Amino acid sequence: MLSQEEKTLARECLEMAQECGAQKARVSFNKSSMDMVATLNGEVDKVTSCLDSSLEICLFVDGRFGSFSTNRTEKDALRGFISRAVRTVRMLAPDPCRDLPAPERVAKNSVTGRELEIYDAAILEMTAERRRQIALDAAASASEGRGWKMVSEEGEYSDSCELSYIVDSQGLEALQCETCFDYGVETTIEDSAGDKYSAYWWTSSPFLSKFDASSCGKTALDRAVAKIHPKRVRSGKYNMVVFEDVASKMVSPILNALGGYSIQQNNSFLLDSIGKQLFPKGMNLVDRPHIKGNTGSRLFDSEGVATKEHDIIRDGVVQEFFLNTFTAAKLGMEPTVESAIRPVLLPFSSAGPAPAGMGVDEILKLCGKGIFVTDFNGGNSNSATGDFSYGIEGFWFEDGKILKPVSEMLVTGNFISLWNNLLAAGDDSRQCKSKLIPTLAFKDVDFSG
Amino acid sequence: MNNSSEKYLRLFGVTEAQMRQLVAEGLRGGGDWCDLYFEDTVATDLVLRDGEVSSGGSQEDYGCGIRVLDGEKTGYAYAESTAWNELLRAARAAGSIAAGSKSGSAAVKATPGTPQSARYGNCYPIKTDWRDTEAAQFVPVLRKLDAAIRQKDSRVQKVVAVLSWQMSEIMMFNSLGELTADTRPVASIIASVIFRQGNQIENKTVSRSFRKGAEMITDALVEELACKAVEGLDDRFEARRPKGGEMPVVMAAGASGILLHEAMGHAFEADFNRKGQSVFADKMGKRVAMQGINILDDATIPGNRGSLNYDDEGVPGQKTYMVQDGVLRSYLHDRISARYYGIESTGNGRRESFRFNPIPRMRCTYMESGRDGTLQDLIGSVRKGIFVDQFANGQVKIGEGDFTFYVKSGYTIENGRLAMPVKDINIIGNGPEALADIKAVAGDLRIDDATWTCGKDQSAYVSCGIPSVLVNKLIVGGE
Repeated sequence: MLSQEEKTLARECLEMAQECGAQKARVSFNKSSMDMVATLNGEVDKVTSCLDSSLEICLFVDGRFGSFSTNRTEKDALRGFISRAVRTVRMLAPDPCRDLPAPERVAKNSVTGRELEIYDAAILEMTAERRRQIALDAAASASEGRGWKMVSEEGEYSDSCELSYIVDSQGLEALQCETCFDYGVETTIEDSAGDKYSAYWWTSSPFLSKFDASSCGKTALDRAVAKIHPKRVRSGKYNMVVFEDVASKMVSPILNALGGYSIQQNNSFLLDSIGKQLFPKGMNLVDRPHIKGNTGSRLFDSEGVATKEHDIIRDGVVQEFFLNTFTAAKLGMEPTVESAIRPVLLPFSSAGPAPAGMGVDEILKLCGKGIFVTDFNGGNSNSATGDFSYGIEGFWFEDGKILKPVSEMLVTGNFISLWNNLLAAGDDSRQCKSKLIPTLAFKDVDFSG
Repeated sequence: MNNSSEKYLRLFGVTEAQMRQLVAEGLRGGGDWCDLYFEDTVATDLVLRDGEVSSGGSQEDYGCGIRVLDGEKTGYAYAESTAWNELLRAARAAGSIAAGSKSGSAAVKATPGTPQSARYGNCYPIKTDWRDTEAAQFVPVLRKLDAAIRQKDSRVQKVVAVLSWQMSEIMMFNSLGELTADTRPVASIIASVIFRQGNQIENKTVSRSFRKGAEMITDALVEELACKAVEGLDDRFEARRPKGGEMPVVMAAGASGILLHEAMGHAFEADFNRKGQSVFADKMGKRVAMQGINILDDATIPGNRGSLNYDDEGVPGQKTYMVQDGVLRSYLHDRISARYYGIESTGNGRRESFRFNPIPRMRCTYMESGRDGTLQDLIGSVRKGIFVDQFANGQVKIGEGDFTFYVKSGYTIENGRLAMPVKDINIIGNGPEALADIKAVAGDLRIDDATWTCGKDQSAYVSCGIPSVLVNKLIVGGE
């Protein structure tokens, strides 16, 4: 946890800033620890131990603004650093849109850092031996099978604790603590022709008691074996089902396009979109940052502004942009929060009410025939137009059944038209993620192969 | 030790004797290699938005990373200060990798760096140290860039321009007693521009980045960036998605070097090959491209973003031929992989900062000029295909060898001529197949000086280059 001395140091930085000439200031003391054990082919390959702490200092000087950070936390060094920082800010142009958030907007309910119950004191009891054991136990048991042999299995277990303490010169004081127990594994196999296939799987939890990596190795191996002998499918328009593990790739560009910096710079395909029906009726994207015990929950953003449960897209209508103090002032709008903290896409079906618990199997059946995308390979999107093009890998399916793996294919389109062809959103997102986006299905998507 | 070393020892507040003691502490439980990596980095940036340089800042990062190797196994820990007790803690944590190890004493198996005589000299001579400048003197530079871009095209709506510079003091010491130090600059200037034509909005980002001092900021550089920002804008507004599928691809000189980085470079990094994961793992000494093709990874180009006097294991920067006359000649090695293969490191051991252990990484990856004429000759030889010249990003799946890169602009080719402008398409191929499918190489090698950053586990400054090439077939995204 953060010591009283460290909290005091953050407050002293505020005082130093004001002594050096800043009228207002905000200081974040960020501290983290992470211990990692990596394995290669069932043996420990690497151990890493990390301890980090840094101070982020935002200065508001004579109507000007600057942002600074340092990991040198000795008091004498800090005084010089802040003094130089104030001098730098004075060289910049004034900007009336820069200010601390109004005191009534900041979080007041994040005092102990444990309010959201995502801190597990069990991390303090972890030993090097326990970490090694978890990492070794998660490895797959098989090293070869019919038509394949394992080339390598790289696993990585880590546990970490992150603390963020934020104070400002208007009385803000907030603390957040989060632990994470995490395991990921990448398995590479080779078929009888010497062709290689790799696959990845992972899990994580804020709690050691809820953390179970025992099936990760097998899942990664099964996913790699399923990719053997891929085929290319002829270019054309097909239904596309996107597996929940990678489905956030379809949502992140929407969230970015609703971000204040994108809107203010006109670099968004969702300009002037508030209140407009740009997405299908029945589609609901919400932000749920206050769910206790869930990864990614937050009571405040990086300005210290209190987060809130809110709708981002309701029944297909855009509800709000993500505006921090600066971008809101630039746009002449009311500030909201700076970003989606823990976005959740609710279940959806174009055929009517979405059945509860809908997962991949039901969605494949619903779509009948098409391409089931299980991973993306590169690609990008144009933030101003919403046009996108991504490499994909996955499977061709018919009658709801997976028939063959596909590779070296591309999917190309525009996000607005893609989402208006939404067939279904499942109810299967994993709670270990901070973006809860379920398996998605879209009709008539352009594939090239 | 010399005067130069003294400067770094003073900066980090340690002596050679203390560093020896830390190495001994790291190796107390076994292991056969220990190295220390001290870093003091200060980065500064200025941002112009809506016509004013109204935000900026700086970041300080200071610390020491300690690595212990036990065979190919790695123990790594770091301290964010050079206080003795913190350094000792890190050394002991890193040494835990060798707990119970039967390895021999230090230096028995360690691979020494390339002899100092192999150095190419200083790859980044600095005339004006960024630390001797005031941020205020660069405010007019960003304003000038903003004005130059706006003056060149009335469709400019918004400009965000960023100037950033970073100076890193690096000192390395290892269990062979080798002490190496380096002062590394890197600076970038970037302009992101939004254009509007009627209801249509387009964006474009241009950049230049070098390992140079403040002397790199000139009126000529500002003018070059401004011209690049508006270049090809009419076509950008008219561009459409092509019909997708497999077709010949002509890649323009310069930024098309992303093809080498994604399709081949990563697969040549020796950690992937040591683990048997790379699609090129069994191709050493074999033909992988047509005769005459030479592909290098080079740390010695003066002022280049990817250049290094020493890599992050203290091995001198060097020029490494990966493919010579079409034959695979070398992987890119750090000390671990060099030891595994029984050869010398190629100086590719790099890390993002003291927080990371070094791994094999590219530097400036490029192909030498060929003898197959000009870009026009290459375009003229294609009946139906695509020409690409600007890119955003790329990726590769090491095992399968499937790579992609995202094309920001290009043209379709119809009967040997450029036809319809295209934009925002991904291209996918397979590394070994694409390398073998390069059928023509023009004589116009160009190194691209944009802000290329590689993201293999850690960020690394890199660059790339290529002459114009014709790849016989790749899959192009489209409608």
